[in-house]
Amino acid sequence: MNYLLPERLDRLAREYVLGTLTGRARRRFERLLHQAPVAMLAVHTWQERFSVLAAGVPAMQPRDAVWSGLEQRLFVPAAAAAPRGAGGPLQWLWDLLSGRALAGALAGMFLCVLVLRMQPGLLGLEAQSEAALPASYVGLLTDAAGKPAVLASSRRHGHELTIKLLQPLAIPAGKVAQLWALPKDGSAPFPVAVVPEKGPARLKLADSSEKLLSNVNRLAVSLEAAPARPGDKPSGEFVLSGHCVKLW
Amino acid sequence: MSAAADLPHLLSRTALRDRAAFEQLYRATCAHLLGVAFRILNNRDRAEEVLQEAFMNVWHSASGYNAGMATPMTWLINIVRNKAIDALRSGKTERASTVALDDEGMDVADEGGREPQQLLAESLLKVNIDKCMSALNASQRQALALAYYRGMVHTDIAEALNAPLGTAKAWVRRGLDKLKDCLLAAGVTP
Repeated sequence: MNYLLPERLDRLAREYVLGTLTGRARRRFERLLHQAPVAMLAVHTWQERFSVLAAGVPAMQPRDAVWSGLEQRLFVPAAAAAPRGAGGPLQWLWDLLSGRALAGALAGMFLCVLVLRMQPGLLGLEAQSEAALPASYVGLLTDAAGKPAVLASSRRHGHELTIKLLQPLAIPAGKVAQLWALPKDGSAPFPVAVVPEKGPARLKLADSSEKLLSNVNRLAVSLEAAPARPGDKPSGEFVLSGHCVKLW
Repeated sequence: MSAAADLPHLLSRTALRDRAAFEQLYRATCAHLLGVAFRILNNRDRAEEVLQEAFMNVWHSASGYNAGMATPMTWLINIVRNKAIDALRSGKTERASTVALDDEGMDVADEGGREPQQLLAESLLKVNIDKCMSALNASQRQALALAYYRGMVHTDIAEALNAPLGTAKAWVRRGLDKLKDCLLAAGVTP
């Protein structure tokens, strides 16, 4: 079928932007978008048309926590990311009891369970050679809905990143899931490796994880037409993202 | 959105890692964008999460914005809307098996789909194509409004409007045809 016939293209583009083009048809059209600038143009034209429909949507002021969380995630180094509240000597107790702290603790416990399942040596008595040590850097990436999707871990001086998929990755044909490291200082993300469709996998790193990840506090995955090279930037949105922490 | 904000300038400064410009961009657009996400997700907490994720993307991919292709607001709306729709669809299976207690109080009363239709009417009025679009019947307008404002797919629309799937698809198609014609006739968009 020739998707580039103007009328057909226009219909596909508008249903794509609207969101009613789903499943395989959507993935086929996304492939086409990368190959045919005329398809991209049709999409942009419809995005512009639909933006007219957004004009009547009543504004809704986000709570302050959205911006402060954004600043925290983008600009505050992990080590300095726990400001003490000014609420008096028992503030820490309130912090501890708040839903957010509790959710964080639960997420942490979940992370630990996963790490222990992957790296039983953490509790064992393996020889203390670097190879036998547990992962030092661990990243847990979640999807847009906050569901854990990818667990990445690496030994401090290792040159390999172990990837475990916690849910299947929907990678459109002709695309790769590129893993990026996001430095704490907000500088540009740099490519780390390509996440395979099926896990687990051990991916080769360009340098030791200590050198690559010591100043990184987040990892993210975008869908790219080809594996990114050093200096490349993500071409689109991140489909997965999450914290990257140093365990020891 | 603040009328005074020079969004193209703020976006180009954001691409150069200017944090102050990024904050101004956020302040100028966040309320409108949260409105868009909220209509789709019907839950303030989830809409705010989507807004935050969207601005994470904006910071990291502002350099990918092409001023020749879209206005900044169109580009931003598209990021937010896509994220909201993804969150809506991936959350559906979760919600089918669990009910979050705090969801209940936050929901906008769904008045049988009337609300999206009002949004559509107000939006069309703003660009002065409401008369032109009145050529659509109520079902056609409602199908278009549910797809755009609620992120519904054809099967959802068919269910919501109690119509066969083919009919729902035809209503959306007709709505889109008319929207394009009316915008062209009014010279609003190409």
